[in-house]
Amino acid sequence: MPALVRVALGWLALMLAVALLADLIMPYGVTALDLRNRLAPPAFMGGTWLHPLGTDELGRDVLSRLIASIRMSLVIAFGATLISATFGTTLGFLAAHFRGFVEQIVMALADFQAAMPFLILALSVLAFFGNALGLLVLLLGLHGWERYARIARGLAVSAGAQGYAAAVRQLGASPLRLYGRHVLPNIASTLIVSMTLVFPEVILLESGLSFLGLGVQPPATSLGNMVGYGREYLTRAPWILLSPASIIVLTTLSVSLVGDWLRDRLDPTLR
Amino acid sequence: MLRFLLLRLARALLTIALVVSFAFVVLRLSGDPALLIMSVDAPPEAVAAFRKAWGLDEPLWRQYLSYFGAIASGDLGRSMRDGRDAIVLVGERIPATLALTVPALLIKLGLGIPAGVYAALHRNSWADRLVMFLAVAGFTVPSFVLGLLLVLVFAVQLGWLPSGGQDSWRHAVLPIITLGVGGAAVLARFTRSAMLEVLGQSYIRTASAKGVPWAQVVRGHALPNAAIPTVTIIGFMVGSLIAGAVVVESVFSWPGVGRLLVVAVANRDLAVVQCILLLVAATMVTANLVVDLLYGALDPRLRRGGSR
Repeated sequence: MPALVRVALGWLALMLAVALLADLIMPYGVTALDLRNRLAPPAFMGGTWLHPLGTDELGRDVLSRLIASIRMSLVIAFGATLISATFGTTLGFLAAHFRGFVEQIVMALADFQAAMPFLILALSVLAFFGNALGLLVLLLGLHGWERYARIARGLAVSAGAQGYAAAVRQLGASPLRLYGRHVLPNIASTLIVSMTLVFPEVILLESGLSFLGLGVQPPATSLGNMVGYGREYLTRAPWILLSPASIIVLTTLSVSLVGDWLRDRLDPTLR
Repeated sequence: MLRFLLLRLARALLTIALVVSFAFVVLRLSGDPALLIMSVDAPPEAVAAFRKAWGLDEPLWRQYLSYFGAIASGDLGRSMRDGRDAIVLVGERIPATLALTVPALLIKLGLGIPAGVYAALHRNSWADRLVMFLAVAGFTVPSFVLGLLLVLVFAVQLGWLPSGGQDSWRHAVLPIITLGVGGAAVLARFTRSAMLEVLGQSYIRTASAKGVPWAQVVRGHALPNAAIPTVTIIGFMVGSLIAGAVVVESVFSWPGVGRLLVVAVANRDLAVVQCILLLVAATMVTANLVVDLLYGALDPRLRRGGSR
């Protein structure tokens, strides 16, 4: 395993740990104000260890908000990636199973999804429905489904021509059992590689939407949200923006590196 | 070839119809626009009058048909906020957006393609590694972070360029760089893998084995074949000329289509949102259609075979 991939995996493990233990390691509440220490600089920029990463305009602790934001952004990205993988794979299997008309519809929808810039679709849905958190996750869960659908359809069709699928079918297994227990495990590695490609895109989309003020809404906070808020204090307090920005970059970079490595390991055909 | 073109055209129209239906369904599902626009305690007569004025009191299928009819005749509705035609509002913003996205596209092509080709031709050299590292970094740094970092360095620290607004060409420099660099990274990565794919083919080996100079093999055999997949992604970039700057325009307070979209979404100005949605779909579909035509020109097999 290359050293860079090890570092990336280590970073991802750290992020996961932070997200899981968020409530335990947050030094202050997300909305707790410390009005005497407003816009305090981080410890390494001349501030004190009272607020290691500094505070914002309202005296809220940047480190605590960062931890809460990491949890929020990761939960959204995991949720959305799972939804899109499940949805896309199911549609791909349906297309492969029924062929004909169903397949045409699924593929036309996939073409449509691939042809439209997702940010524009997402923005129009948010305009119509407002931005509740659940809706945001569902909406981001539509991102990338067409890739799973295409992969699942292609692989399921070719699996259908292989001996094991025919054998299971002739033993009388239901389609649900055939696809769930036999085809899915056989194509899982390719799907997982696609997930590592979609996951960073979802993080970037969520942070972009939140940056525009149209994603996660205050008082909840996410990484993009913090960058958007910190932008107002770019000259006076750049640390508000720099810490979430570097978390976004490092996390997406790590997932991409791990994904590239996994792809080379698991799936020589995609190279 | 004609059949291929007609099929593509039918598909393009189908995509537009899908977008129109998508806008209509989403619009209907989202609840009563009358109550969204007017306050909750508005008098019932006012709400009824609003519904009548916007045709919201008719049955759903009639609304769907008249919706399609209106769009086909170019009537995209009026902004529910200031009453002007949505299409005029959007049209006013297009030049400002193109002033950013067209130069950015030139940067993407001028930087991305040569970098990708060079990296592929010098595989595993330090230049290749550098290009790939920059390409991955360019993909993972979101445009708003890159834009704000550029502002921090060139506007706040050095004071060379303004941080936002649209008063002179100097205001356009940072947004154009922000847009161009990210896209160049994507294009470089894509071009490199397309080139590597082609360079591994047996006809390249045959050509160089029979003594054709390497430069000529690259120019005559590798580049044209690698161009085919690359054209697809360039088509996508051309298609997003109008909508590709949403975030960057917001970072630099640039009054383009993207900024208008964000403001319209925040205000629930549905006519404007839908107008932009259709405009984006139309440019995207047109760009894809042109890409399909280019495929025909680039790949003689498609011209003869008629379909892919």
